Parts: sequence; C-alpha cells; structure tokens
Amino acid sequence: ARMLHGKRPPYRAVDLARYLYDESLTPQAAIKKWKGEEDEESDEEEEDIEQDDETFFRKTGNDVEDLAEDRSIPRFDYDELAARWSGEGAIEALRKRFATANLLDEEEGDGEGSDDE
Amino acid sequence: MSGNSRPEFVRFTGHRAFTQRLVLATLTGRPVHISKIRSSSATNPGLAPHEVSFLRLLESITNGSVIDVSYSGTTIAYQPGLITGTVPGLGAALATDAIEHVLPAACARSVTYFLIPLALLAPFSKAHMNVRFTGPGVITSATHGAGDLSIDTFRTAVLPLYGLFGIPPARIELRVLSRSCAGPGGKGGGGVVELRFASQVRLPKTLHLHRPPGRIRRVRGVAYCTGVAASHNNRMITAARAVLNQLVPDVHVAAQYDPAPLVAEKGSTLKKKTGIGFGLSLVAESSAEGVLYAADEAAPPEGGVVPEDIGTRCAYQLLEVIAQGGCVMAASAPTVLTLMAMGSEDVGRVRLGREVMAREETIQLARDLKKFGAASWGIRDAKDDAGGDGDDDGEGNSTRGDLIISVKGTGVGNVGRKVA
Repeated sequence: ARMLHGKRPPYRAVDLARYLYDESLTPQAAIKKWKGEEDEESDEEEEDIEQDDETFFRKTGNDVEDLAEDRSIPRFDYDELAARWSGEGAIEALRKRFATANLLDEEEGDGEGSDDE
Repeated sequence: MSGNSRPEFVRFTGHRAFTQRLVLATLTGRPVHISKIRSSSATNPGLAPHEVSFLRLLESITNGSVIDVSYSGTTIAYQPGLITGTVPGLGAALATDAIEHVLPAACARSVTYFLIPLALLAPFSKAHMNVRFTGPGVITSATHGAGDLSIDTFRTAVLPLYGLFGIPPARIELRVLSRSCAGPGGKGGGGVVELRFASQVRLPKTLHLHRPPGRIRRVRGVAYCTGVAASHNNRMITAARAVLNQLVPDVHVAAQYDPAPLVAEKGSTLKKKTGIGFGLSLVAESSAEGVLYAADEAAPPEGGVVPEDIGTRCAYQLLEVIAQGGCVMAASAPTVLTLMAMGSEDVGRVRLGREVMAREETIQLARDLKKFGAASWGIRDAKDDAGGDGDDDGEGNSTRGDLIISVKGTGVGNVGRKVA
C-alpha cells in the first residue's frame, strides 16, 4: 500500500546514508525519516519549519524528549513484547537463528549455519 | 596528534552522548566545548551528578586535562590530557595500586555508565588502568529508569568483544567485590567494583564482522538479588527458562545472592541497608565468533514487580535483541564502532541490524565521530542472506536484512605509547 502512495520504501540503506550526516535533522528526525514514519511528500522547506516548530515546543513545553538520558538498553514496551513473543509464529520465525533448528528441512538455514564454524 | 599547538574546540550542544563525546575528545586529543546542558530544564539544569562524577574520573586517569564548568553547570570546556592510567604514587592510594573513584549517593546510573567509557579509554592508556569504584553511589545491577547494563552483562557480553580488536580480554579483570541494586528512588547503592585493565595496545586492530551472525547455541546468564530472599533467583530463572527453553535447550543461569550492602548515612554514624533488589542478565552466544546478544532487566526500586515478570521480560527482551539481528547488539555497538574508528587506518566492516542502526545513539555516534575528524561510515545492505535473515523478523518487509557498516579507522592509537 505504501508503494502505491508513491512513498519510498522505509529502511533503505541509501536513504540512511543521506540522513546520517544531515545536521539539519535531529537524530530522532533522521530515524523517523528513514523508517518512513514522516510524511515524504512535504518538501525540504516545510520540514525545516517542522523542525523549528519542534524546537519551539520543546523550549516552552519542557518536553520529555529533551530530558531523555542516554540509554544502553532501549526502552521496550513489555506488553507489546509479550504479545509478540508469546505467539507461536514469532518463535518459529526466530527458530532459524538457533542451533536447534532442523537443518534438514531448511536449506537456507543450513547454508547460514555451516559457514560460521 | 596534529602539529597544531592549539586545535580548535569541537563544539556540541545538549546533554546527550556526554560520555561518548568526552571519550572521543580524550582519544583524539581534541578539546571539546559542550553548551546548553539541560539549559531548558527548570528543575535540574546543568550537569547531573553522574556526569560530574565522570568528569572527575577523567581527571584522575589523565594527566594535564583542563576542565572548565560554568557556574550554572550548563557549559563545559574540556581540554584532554594524556591518558596515564594508574601511575604509582599519584592518586593511587589503595594497596592494590588502583585509583579509587567514589561515586556520590545521588548517582542514579549503574556503574557500567562509567565502565563502558572507561574501558574504551583503557586500551589507549600509558600504564595499566586500575580503577576501583566505591562509595554510596555504586549500583552494579541494571537500572530500571536509566537503562544501563548490569555489571554481569558488561563482563560477559561487552568485555569479550575487546578480544576481536587484538586487546586480550584475559588481561582485563573485573572484580565485583560487593553487589548492589539501585537504592531508594533509583539513586545510590553500596557496591564495590574494580576494573583492572592491563591490556594496553599500541593500535587496536580493526574488525571484519560482516559474516552472518550464526546461530544461537546457548544462553548464559546471572540472576542476582541483594537483600531479598534468595528464592527470587530461582523464580526469575524458571520464568526465563519457560520462554527460552522452547528455542534453545542449553540455558544455564547462575544464581548470585548477596546481603544488602550497608552504607553510612550522611551526618550520622548509623549504617543503612541500601540497594535492595533483584535482576536478571541473559547473554546468548552464537556459533559465530564474537557474536553475543544480551538482555538485562532489574526490578524497579519502588518494587511491585514479581520475579517471574522480571524473568519473562528479560527473556522476551533477549528474543527481541536476537531478532534485531546483526553481529553486534545495540548496547555494545557504540563500543565496537568507536574502537573501529580509533583503530588502525584500515576499513573495518561490521554487520548491524537495521533496528540497531535506527537508534539515536548510533546516529549521534556517527555524527560525533565525523566532527572529531573520522571518516564517514559506508552503509550497504548485507546481501549474502537475502532469503535467510530477511524474514526472521516476521514483519514481511522486504528491507529487513542487516546492514554492513564500513568504518575507516583514524589510526589514533595510543598516544602514550607513541611518545614514550
């Protein structure tokens, strides 16, 4: 659906290279753009205004974001995690990354596992 | 070191990435100027206690550093000196020839907040880097509010990575002499931790960790509780096993029980039990060398969480970290990327998950490194596993594979060893 709306697919390596050193974007904004969460249609000027708005709000509203500390462990939403990982499908999808996976059934996994040792 | 007698200040704003910027300044020898540190905060403007303490730590392990903090604490200027490490007879008051660094009781960060940057500086030190953290602010557990790693994760998942850079981990010793969780309000603890870093190198090797991350062979971990019933450990372990055992049978979690440390209260001779709590640290080891994923979870200092919840949360967090992929997890990515950038003038490659890359900390590190004169990172998709890794995350997105980040070293190396 995103492709139909003329949006670039998110998480592209090329896009990241472009945003990574763009000092006009805050890291948060760069990540948002890379993930495609921000509206792509708005042109550069509008985004600059958006940025100004954000900083403006931050100064007055004393935003939580501004006072965020550096973290080693990202903040996880544990309800969401529990919902995701209690499902069988997610566990099965991740099973490929474990040595217990049945190597005979999955050729692709086999190749991945054998060239590490 | 360039030939300029007084290089320009590298200027930053904001309080984020504070230790990272100071570490980079110390390693590259470039003075740094940070302004607007929490200047918009009405309640706590300026440097936080742990940041002041980190500055003191820098002062004690370097020679010739000049630190200027403005009256309000919102601006600092730092001119780095030489990383000397522990020089006998200079600040090393302890019998074990270690520098003693006392953390204040108001410190809300785990001791790994100091250890991670300290370990980054230590390979470039002139002499051995022996630092003992004491005082009423040493928290060895993970911190719930601040998201720091626990000392166990640091020891088992971050320190082994130094071996990949030709810095032998066998000569790095981390002694946990006394454990402590975060005290009341998440502040303070009573732990004692000693880092003895004896593997100083001239120049760290770079890293080629671009192979597929392999498969998880086993999970190790440490469950710790201080001052609460030792059965909490087993309850955490059982809950974590319930999640993990369906994927990996080889789960072994050690249980560590300690009585709560006693800390003297200010202005009285009475000692108070502090740092009561429990937590779990899990480390998944892959079949590929040097690929470790870790998860940390600790009970919040206000309590109200049963050990089973901590166990399952930690296990879920571990699964999530594994699903993020790459060869280096998010928590140790800054360490690896910084060492690569400071290492030999060679292009190293590391494979990172997209989620790891899409963190503010990682993006900020890339920008900070560039400001300190390092080359830009090269980014490309990891091609060799188009079918294998792409659908691991189960979100059906075509651009879900890992990224290969190429980092060119600056050849900074060990200034102390170069001169002396």
